[in-house]
Amino acid sequence: MSEPLLVVDHMTKRFGGLVAVKDVSFSIRPGEILGLIGPNGSGKSTVMKSILGIHPPDGGSVKVDGTEVAGWAPHKIAQRGVGMVFQHSRPLHRQTVFENILLGLLPDRLTYLIPDAATERRAREIAEKVGLGHVLDRRPGTLPFADLRKMEIAKAIARNPRIVLVDEPFAGLTSRETAAFAQLIREMRDDGRAVLIVDHNVRSVAALVDRIYAMYVGERIAEGSVDDVLRDETVRRVYLGGALTVAARPESSFKDVDTPFLAVDKLDVFYGKAQALEDVSLKVHKGEFVAVVGLNGAGKTTLFNAISGLVPYSGAIKREGTALAGRSAAKVARGGIVQAPEGRDLFTEMSVRENLELGGARLTPEEREERLDWLYGLFPILKTRGKQNAGTLSGGEQQMLTIARALMMKPDMLILDEPTLGLAPVIMEQISKALEKLRQTTPLTVLLGEQNVTFALPHADRVYVLEHGRIVWEGDPSRFEADVGERYL
Amino acid sequence: MLFWQILIDGFAISSLYALGATGFTLIFGVTGVLNLSHGSIMVAAAVAAWAVAGTFGFGAYGGAFVGIATGFVLSLATYFMIVRRLQETRSIREEEKEIFILTATLLWGIMLQEAIAYLFTNNAKTVLPIVDGVVSILGVRTPANEIFTAVICWAAIGCLWGFVNRTRAGKALLAASMNPRGVTLLGFELSNIYIAVWAVYGALAGIAGVLLGMFLGVSSYSAGPLTASAFSIVVLGGLGSVSGSLIAAYVVGYLETLTAYLVSPAYRAIPALLLLVVVMYLRPRGLMGRR
Amino acid sequence: MLSRILKSREIWFSLIIVLCAATLPVYVSGYVLGLLTIAYYFGVFSMAWDLLFGFANEVNFGPSFLIGLGAYTAGILDSLYQPPIFICVLAGVAAAMIGGVVLALPALRVRGPYFGLTTLVAVLMLQNFVVVAANLTGGEIGLTVPDIISVDDKVNYWLALGFMTISGLILYGLSRSPVGLILQASGQDTVQAGALGFNIVKHKLAAFLVSAFFSGLAGALMVFYLGAASVTTFVDVTVGVQVIIGAVLGGRRTILGAVLGAVFLIVAGEALRPLGELATFIVSAVALAVILAFPGGLLGLMRGSRGAS
Repeated sequence: MSEPLLVVDHMTKRFGGLVAVKDVSFSIRPGEILGLIGPNGSGKSTVMKSILGIHPPDGGSVKVDGTEVAGWAPHKIAQRGVGMVFQHSRPLHRQTVFENILLGLLPDRLTYLIPDAATERRAREIAEKVGLGHVLDRRPGTLPFADLRKMEIAKAIARNPRIVLVDEPFAGLTSRETAAFAQLIREMRDDGRAVLIVDHNVRSVAALVDRIYAMYVGERIAEGSVDDVLRDETVRRVYLGGALTVAARPESSFKDVDTPFLAVDKLDVFYGKAQALEDVSLKVHKGEFVAVVGLNGAGKTTLFNAISGLVPYSGAIKREGTALAGRSAAKVARGGIVQAPEGRDLFTEMSVRENLELGGARLTPEEREERLDWLYGLFPILKTRGKQNAGTLSGGEQQMLTIARALMMKPDMLILDEPTLGLAPVIMEQISKALEKLRQTTPLTVLLGEQNVTFALPHADRVYVLEHGRIVWEGDPSRFEADVGERYL
Repeated sequence: MLFWQILIDGFAISSLYALGATGFTLIFGVTGVLNLSHGSIMVAAAVAAWAVAGTFGFGAYGGAFVGIATGFVLSLATYFMIVRRLQETRSIREEEKEIFILTATLLWGIMLQEAIAYLFTNNAKTVLPIVDGVVSILGVRTPANEIFTAVICWAAIGCLWGFVNRTRAGKALLAASMNPRGVTLLGFELSNIYIAVWAVYGALAGIAGVLLGMFLGVSSYSAGPLTASAFSIVVLGGLGSVSGSLIAAYVVGYLETLTAYLVSPAYRAIPALLLLVVVMYLRPRGLMGRR
Repeated sequence: MLSRILKSREIWFSLIIVLCAATLPVYVSGYVLGLLTIAYYFGVFSMAWDLLFGFANEVNFGPSFLIGLGAYTAGILDSLYQPPIFICVLAGVAAAMIGGVVLALPALRVRGPYFGLTTLVAVLMLQNFVVVAANLTGGEIGLTVPDIISVDDKVNYWLALGFMTISGLILYGLSRSPVGLILQASGQDTVQAGALGFNIVKHKLAAFLVSAFFSGLAGALMVFYLGAASVTTFVDVTVGVQVIIGAVLGGRRTILGAVLGAVFLIVAGEALRPLGELATFIVSAVALAVILAFPGGLLGLMRGSRGAS
């Protein structure tokens, strides 16, 4: 067997106090595809960026074909033969596709002022190879999303790297586009390159990779063939949790069956050329807890932002029968549909109490005090942290503050976007308890977006599964595991 | 004697710088806009006060009132006619908007400056002061107007502080400077907050302009240097940090006064510029910067 | 790619205009020629600025720092020792390029408004230096140089036109060349450009040097056209502002548009001179209106109308 091209040994990367990557070791041989898998916040993207020197590792070694490159500048590592296909690329908008691909072929020299015929021919060949031959003279802005992704592959291939790092190759692609894209990656392997693919779950890359290295909160949890990893107990626990407990109330038990509190009908959202949501319809009844589960990039945040009036959409979003379109985001919020966003959006240099008071700015002083007391009961830690700046809180405390700040607005409906993102299990437990208490003791309606199924299902009355911007499943949480559970590994 | 003189003169000048820079940094902190018509708005306020108080004979108080109102109106005009149009247009990419806003506010500043020169000539003008006479502090004969300037500056800064920290609207404004999306999600209309900030800024620039006109006098030529000094102070203090600008205003004010008294008035701007260069190299975010 | 440049209609269109402009001395007065001579030098200033902004994505508020260094170094050398003019010009270019490196250093560390400010501070420092070192620089009164290129309006005019044309061709060619592509990629996203194996520091530094080269050269040549250097013509912040407005007005990221904008500003300003202070007011107002209504600038406007027809 040939020697490995890329060897990562005991790599560690810290951001301030946070250990993003801890003691990660793997290697890839020429003609091999390794899948680096982990849920959001597991550190997999950081590993990739550390290999390329974008975030130089704090410890351990990275060897490219036997040469230690840890600590080198990215362009030096790239020149050693490491290429990367970015998930979010920014092509040169005023240049043609041809010129964008040509860029990848250019030497890092100031004296190379006139490209020779061979280089231009090579750019055309690469374009043909990835299937962009017919759009060479178009500008990137006029291309569909899938072609833009192909252009990124073309740029990476153009440098003829021996090692290719691919970040979430299939995000935002339809299943047919996915197949074409997977074929391009296979061809890279067949050319003898070592390929590292970073993705969220095993399923999406199972057909493509030779081996899998699974991570969770910065550390290795499993490694081996696709089947080994799929059978691995730790992996199953991370993705599916233990036995799922559900306590759903039947849909018929809600009074507003005909005109639900919130009705989303045939929603489409575009970001430029890329369609983020396609024909999404869902409803939420008054007092109901509805979960929208889906992987990162499935479109959950876009859905919530559309409901909150933060992104333009086509289709209808109705509250108790009245369309919300045309209302400003602030008006939607004042109307009682309040979002606790994924990014938290806290006022980091204000105290915890000031953050909460801003949430309750429209209440009378008595109401505000009463509300604060109630929330301190729900999240006692916030009371002890009252005078501290929000930016100095731990991740879990910040999440609680985000939820509490939204609740200060006395909402009719709370939209919770990824409340467990990057949190330790203990903290998840606390947030879970608070949600349960809300469900038991208040008439609050909740729309919860999660990729963590274990967290979401116990609270949900009904579940929607969002995939590539479309609702692919809806139903009772008790049927979830049997129907769609396997997709979540 | 010289020591006390420098201390007192420097304090008055620094207070004025502080007030001028506070509005400038507030606009940047909340809306992300560097308003390069800043100096022109201050000069316009001062010239309006001068004309109303002197030429039209409405007295010092009438002049001051009209001057501040001028700053207020021009600030809102800057926002509605230029800044908001550029922020909302879709024909310019987001990452290019900054240079467009800079260029446009600069052009707007030049227009104001030239209009002032056309209507009121280029001559230096001193606004009729509200208080006059001379008082003796620690043996230094100080114009009462100088003390008045410092007092009003600090009163205005104090009002701003109270507004931002003690009122609901002020808190929302402060919150918007940290996270505009968060403010929207809590039901505050961001567009109203922006209008409020420009209104507050206009009043501050108006007050600073009128006081400057009473204390040192202005001409249409002052517009550029005023913008530049506000810009320098704000960057020295850290863009968006009000407390940083206050400290930086005193550093610059005293450096200039010291140089003017001890070396030569011709060199007064140089030490502050040198300090700015050193800070930019060693601590690019400024003294108290967070961005 | 070379063939693409030759095929570009803009280049042929521009060359036809240049040819027409070359015949102007036959039928216009020396006064108009003098005005256009200045306008052409400003065109080079604006093009050099556009290379930094439009292609390297660096907002330089201090073009007059580079211009002033070129102009004053050449002028001072001439007034002190009277070497041949080309020696003085070379010295001016060298000084401007050193200035380019000085500007580039913070650009590689700080971003956005902070970089903008360092460039502005550089201008203010130079301005203060000129005023303070009056016995060397002539201070606020200005510096008179003993030599000039020619007393003939037409020679000066053709020289400026030729210089602008050659500079334009080089800068335009550079912006469309592989190096221009790399520069744009680095300006847009340093991380991704680095991942493609490009040394961003090297390319940005080169962009600063090229920009400084043309700014300094144009500044130095202009001194020997005017026979004098002063703060208000070469160093003042308003000079830099005019250079920037010219480039944005003409159409940023086009190189050629910068000439259009700069010539418009100079000529319009002069044509309206009888109106006194109102002249600058009107020119600024027109520029502001163009920027608000047509962000693509004059060149964008012309391209748009051509595309529509």
